[in-house]
Amino acid sequence: MPSLKEKKIETALKSGLTRSDFLKTMGVGLAALGGACDWRWPHAKAVPEINRPEGVTPGVARWQASTCGGCSASCGALVKIRDGRPIKLEGLKSHPLSQGGLCARGQATLLDLYDSGRLSEPLIDGKKVSWADWDKAVSAKIKGLHGKQVRLVTQTLPNPSLNAAIAEFLGAYPSVKHVVYDPISSSSILDAHQKTHGRRVLPHYQFSKAKAIVGFDADFLGTWISPVEFSADWAKGRAPTSGSPKMSRHIHFEPRVSLTGSNADLRVQVKPSEEYSTVASVAIRLARILGVAVPRVGEVSTTASPESLDDAAQILAQHKKESLVVSGSSDLSVQILVNWMNSVLGNYGNTLDIQKPAQVRSGSETAMDGFVREAVSGRIAGVIFVEANPVYDHPLGEELAKALSKMELTVSLSNRLDETAAHAAFVAADSHPLESWGDAEPVPGVITIIQPAIRPLFNSRPALETLTALAGKTQNAYDFVRAYWKSHVFPKQKASHNFDHFWDGSLESGVVSYEAPSLARSSFSSAALAGLKNLRPKVKEGEFEFVSYAPINLYDGHQAFNPWLEELPDPVTRVSWENYVQFSPADAKRLGITEGRMVRVTSGKKSFEIPAQIQLGMPEGVVAAALGYGRITADDIAANYPITKIKFFPVEIAKLHTANVYPFLNSSVVSVSAGTEMHPLAKIQRYDFQKDPYLQQNRHVVREETLEEYAKNAAGGGSSSNSSSGDGLWDKHEYPGHKWAMSVDLNRCSGCAACVIACQAENNIPTVGKSEVRKSRDMYWIRIDRYYSGSETEAPINPTVAFQPMTCQQCDNAPCETVCPVAATTHSSEGINMQTYNRCVGTRYCENNCPYKVRRFNWFDYDRDDAVQDLVLNPDVTVRQRGVMEKCNFCYQRIRDVEISSQIENRKIHDGEIQPACVQSCPTQALSFGDINNSNSQVASKAISSRAYRALEDLGVKPSIYYQTKVRNVKS
Amino acid sequence: MKVLGKIFKLTGLLSVVLAVCLSKAQAAPKKPALNASSSQSLELSQPAPAAMNSPVGFKVKTPDEGTKISWLGMGIAFFLIIGGILFWANDIQSFAGILFVLGLFAGFLALGQRHYYHYFANNQGYAPQQPISYPHVLHAGKLKIACLYCHYNAEKSDVASIPSVNVCMNCHSLVRSATGDSGPNPEISKLVKAWESRDSAAPSPVVWERVNKLPSFVRFSHRIHVANGIACQECHGPIQTMTRVRQAAPLSMGWCINCHRLTKKEAPAHWKHAGGPLDCIVCHH
Repeated sequence: MPSLKEKKIETALKSGLTRSDFLKTMGVGLAALGGACDWRWPHAKAVPEINRPEGVTPGVARWQASTCGGCSASCGALVKIRDGRPIKLEGLKSHPLSQGGLCARGQATLLDLYDSGRLSEPLIDGKKVSWADWDKAVSAKIKGLHGKQVRLVTQTLPNPSLNAAIAEFLGAYPSVKHVVYDPISSSSILDAHQKTHGRRVLPHYQFSKAKAIVGFDADFLGTWISPVEFSADWAKGRAPTSGSPKMSRHIHFEPRVSLTGSNADLRVQVKPSEEYSTVASVAIRLARILGVAVPRVGEVSTTASPESLDDAAQILAQHKKESLVVSGSSDLSVQILVNWMNSVLGNYGNTLDIQKPAQVRSGSETAMDGFVREAVSGRIAGVIFVEANPVYDHPLGEELAKALSKMELTVSLSNRLDETAAHAAFVAADSHPLESWGDAEPVPGVITIIQPAIRPLFNSRPALETLTALAGKTQNAYDFVRAYWKSHVFPKQKASHNFDHFWDGSLESGVVSYEAPSLARSSFSSAALAGLKNLRPKVKEGEFEFVSYAPINLYDGHQAFNPWLEELPDPVTRVSWENYVQFSPADAKRLGITEGRMVRVTSGKKSFEIPAQIQLGMPEGVVAAALGYGRITADDIAANYPITKIKFFPVEIAKLHTANVYPFLNSSVVSVSAGTEMHPLAKIQRYDFQKDPYLQQNRHVVREETLEEYAKNAAGGGSSSNSSSGDGLWDKHEYPGHKWAMSVDLNRCSGCAACVIACQAENNIPTVGKSEVRKSRDMYWIRIDRYYSGSETEAPINPTVAFQPMTCQQCDNAPCETVCPVAATTHSSEGINMQTYNRCVGTRYCENNCPYKVRRFNWFDYDRDDAVQDLVLNPDVTVRQRGVMEKCNFCYQRIRDVEISSQIENRKIHDGEIQPACVQSCPTQALSFGDINNSNSQVASKAISSRAYRALEDLGVKPSIYYQTKVRNVKS
Repeated sequence: MKVLGKIFKLTGLLSVVLAVCLSKAQAAPKKPALNASSSQSLELSQPAPAAMNSPVGFKVKTPDEGTKISWLGMGIAFFLIIGGILFWANDIQSFAGILFVLGLFAGFLALGQRHYYHYFANNQGYAPQQPISYPHVLHAGKLKIACLYCHYNAEKSDVASIPSVNVCMNCHSLVRSATGDSGPNPEISKLVKAWESRDSAAPSPVVWERVNKLPSFVRFSHRIHVANGIACQECHGPIQTMTRVRQAAPLSMGWCINCHRLTKKEAPAHWKHAGGPLDCIVCHH
């Protein structure tokens, strides 16, 4: 019996076909198959316009001035419109308040536009109807309620035209009353001024004039009132130069570690229950130093160190008329004391303006609570919500929801079927600010235009049009705004005498400044100081004090459906996608809680369960959780990441555990019980200290020094002590033309993450989802590292925090370049470390060899299931495919665009003409970019400044990013 | 059996010829006729008829020229391969093994089309049928209308862009038929129809077939090339002679780089700057 092999050979010999013959035939056959295969390029159509409008050039972006619709702060925005699509939002340089910056949330409103979850039609009882039918039905319904109680509920609207439309609406329906509230409220500040200055106003804070800032839980660099404006102003006092080594001093008292506290020269942790006592203690000390009557504040006891309280009082007293005391407290007594301090310091009229008060917060908690109580008791017959969602973002939202179902009329003007709209019979699909006409006046005398950048994507309508239509005057928003400007804005200004000319100019510049009439001066009335006392209840044994706060990314939660913001990590905790309960390390140890353990927080009948996070710097006995999460269906967006398109491979999609914390907004005491379940958080940064984990040496990635040291030591930062270790093995690169470089001023950087979102929008950076972030597969080209420092005993209680924007350092001796086996990453003649996507085969050697960990690998094709979101993509930047490496390239598309323009115009590139997205968006102007070969450029002068150093310089990789040492104005 | 083996050898040989023909049909001309010595020819040499139509009668595939040959080639290959396997693999394991390997290969070919088409073929010679048979030979050749009159964006923008209908109507609001024709020209009528639909509820723009196309990872700027004095024909070929627009150049990276590498001596005199940047990132970012 022959073996199988022998049999095979025998058969082959018989047939005359040997193995080699077979292989030949097969090879030829495969070649033929390959050759004959349809290697055809995909069909492409090109559809030019029928009638191309003048001034529109395909492929050339149009920039249009407008106003950011992210929050009521109404910063100036520039909209980049490419081929009919808005693809980027940037700050408007000429805006007197925001001064060219735009925060992360503001820039991310762009993605809210391309959200297929938005309402596409007006609804009556859940059925789609036409606008005409909707208007008819709603106005008939409101007329039918004549004589009954009807309310119009809005958030603060600093929009003159919209307010005029509301006035018209209220005029048409006299029975309707207007209720204004704010989810993130400044009601106590307004009420305090009513008591102390006789006028319910919000001061216009001017941090630029303040040389001493004392904050009590007011996150003015992150979320408080108008963070972009405040950051820009704050940063002006934070840049010492060798010529004048001076900077403002900033002391911050707060219960949780906020962005502002992290940036303060001195951060003092204070429990919420001691907030009043702390403010009062500072006030008493200030009164003694200034020699004025000590306000009667009752009993005070605070654990804040007397030195810090003395320090705060002293710096304030030393800077009369140029200091500022701010508080984000909801406690009226605290705010009255803050007003008193500002008043005795003479700050009113200098660093705070109440004669031209800010108009970005006017909501009243008492009025809104009154409305909800009335609604619950059944006295309200109808309600119209205009861009307001109190069912979600009011502490009594649940009760309100029940009351709504009993009302005769419930109308919601909303851009999605949110918690409140879901309970409304009539829902008007509201347009996005980028689709609407409007205006905004955050501060009297600064009025900006909101102009549409795209036709409405859906059958939606701006609230302004809906309200005028209900008032019986069908008028489109453009005509309304134009008419309003003609009658109200044009007469106030003096620059132009022709309205058409003025209007065109306003559309072009986006912002009009005029001399607004000042309100009468009013002085502090001492009567307000009567009856001050600490209202915070005492905490019983075993209970925790509770702090709720607006986070940097989701803020009040109206942008909770925005994947960019969902993934954006908190600057301090570095956690993305979820909210969590923050514990102090001591409490966590006591309760046996580890990070990620589910924790139930209970107050009365309410409770929620989210994971725990252990946060250095939290005071013992205090827990904190972020607002803005836990919206219905918002968690579903997480299910879209990384991608649901992959059918063949199991892709881990993490479930989110978020909770709505608004019901706890007024709860100051909670009980906490640790669950059994573990739910690990998605942290973008897993190392908190600069220490090398193996060598246990501080690597000084962030260099810090005190102001005194800086003034003494012109060399600064110790840059000489840690010099580079020679040129290395390789030949030097030659940069005959430009050599691009960046400077990052760590003193100005507040860590606000505006640059992160700017980069994401500019460079088509995908959102990857929670499970991928947990695997450290986030795709950010620029990230903001947060480092703690301090001694081992001190750091857990009160760490010193430093932020460092970290992006590709564009090293001259780049370690990534030498290890690429296919030369996909190489060095350009202008000093940029190039990444050629189509050449990359994805070995990830470069990622391993990068000392800064800034290279990102595409583990998937991050296609979006939602095709509407693809409209946000920047056509100037390649969308990377699975299996390739990517990283920052200094926004090369912008460099190239300017290079081409300058070549065509036969001129040199001006310094500052090229602004990568991060540099443009920075509210504090911490980043600057330019040609370091040009010795007159800003970046060249910064590179040789006494504060300049390069990260991990001792490695000898010669980065092109120059950091400026962080200088702290600490008391010696 | 021996005869069968011979047949396989023969057909194998035949398909080598076939494959070579096919690859020839798709190959780019070796070098663009573009250097100082060649009397500053502004035009690409037209691809030789031999390249367009190979000896065995196979043409370069263009979408409107049918896919017959692909199916024939596939058929031959299929026959050869299945025959080969059946013949050689006389047990089920090796049959399955071979099929698996071939399946992977076929899968790569099929799926690869999505991402990697440009690795295997450029689109040189592609000349699709357009919705309106617009003759460049008449407008640019006979009437000598400047390229930038219609493609005015080429000097302003990265994209040259196909002119919008209103540009056509600058002349065609008056010119409705070619001289000597009786009645309106049907092609111009299509244009007028598109123009007249501009304000209607359902406008019907002209949907052109795109001819010159770069892969999505390549950035190309028309305006810098126009500003540098590079003639349109240097990349687009003798467009003034084309009745139907054809992709004249291979538009491959090697072809681009050849010009970017030219030194001052080698570059045509009418260029303002010799050569171009060679950094990868200039085109790939």
